[in-house]
Amino acid sequence: MKNSATKKWILQRVTGIIIAPIVVWFFVKLNSLRVLGYSENVAFFSDKLFLILTAILFFGGFFHLKMGIAEIFEDYISDEKVKNVANTLVLISSIIVPLIAISLLLKL
Amino acid sequence: MENKNPLSPHLQIYTWHISSLLSITHRITGVLNVIGLLFVTVWLIFLGLGENLFTSFSIFLNSFLGKFILLGFTWSISFHLLSGLRHLIWDFGYGYDLKISKITGTIVVLLSLLLTIFIYYLGVN
Repeated sequence: MKNSATKKWILQRVTGIIIAPIVVWFFVKLNSLRVLGYSENVAFFSDKLFLILTAILFFGGFFHLKMGIAEIFEDYISDEKVKNVANTLVLISSIIVPLIAISLLLKL
Repeated sequence: MENKNPLSPHLQIYTWHISSLLSITHRITGVLNVIGLLFVTVWLIFLGLGENLFTSFSIFLNSFLGKFILLGFTWSISFHLLSGLRHLIWDFGYGYDLKISKITGTIVVLLSLLLTIFIYYLGVN
């Protein structure tokens, strides 16, 4: 049976593989949208397919971050209480920020 | 229960090699990528606030600083992606040899710059 560290290790690789092509596509689009106007930006982010891909990127990206930053905390924070608070704050942020982003997109 | 896990030595203790430099850069770019996603969230907030405020944000995006920030985040995701791929190859048991590791590290740095240029030009054109 896999222990929790192995599961986290696998999940981090899986989320990384899933978001890798999306993040390349997304940054190509961002570099394109930078020079375009308001209506083109709204049109892009209103598209259902782009909305789904952006949602996957945000939730997948923050989930990937949560696991990666937990490793950094493990390496450099000795106080268990501080580490738990830091991990909880990252967990809350990794849920709230994608929800804010997606709710903004749904309102466009 | 008391945690007896040892902490990692602080960064000043290491003699720098390309492998250690890439390892710490992988972590730094991971954090930068999150700041990048927060930057995109700000982009969406301005979009939601209407055309007038978005135009102000757009002017900033097209300033030297705005372009530098977006290009910086583009490099950050490029580096993290390629460095992550190198880690994945290690996970399968390949590329541990010191000489190979130095070569793949150099390739990651060079390809990250090329991928940044590729993403930028693909976007702009």
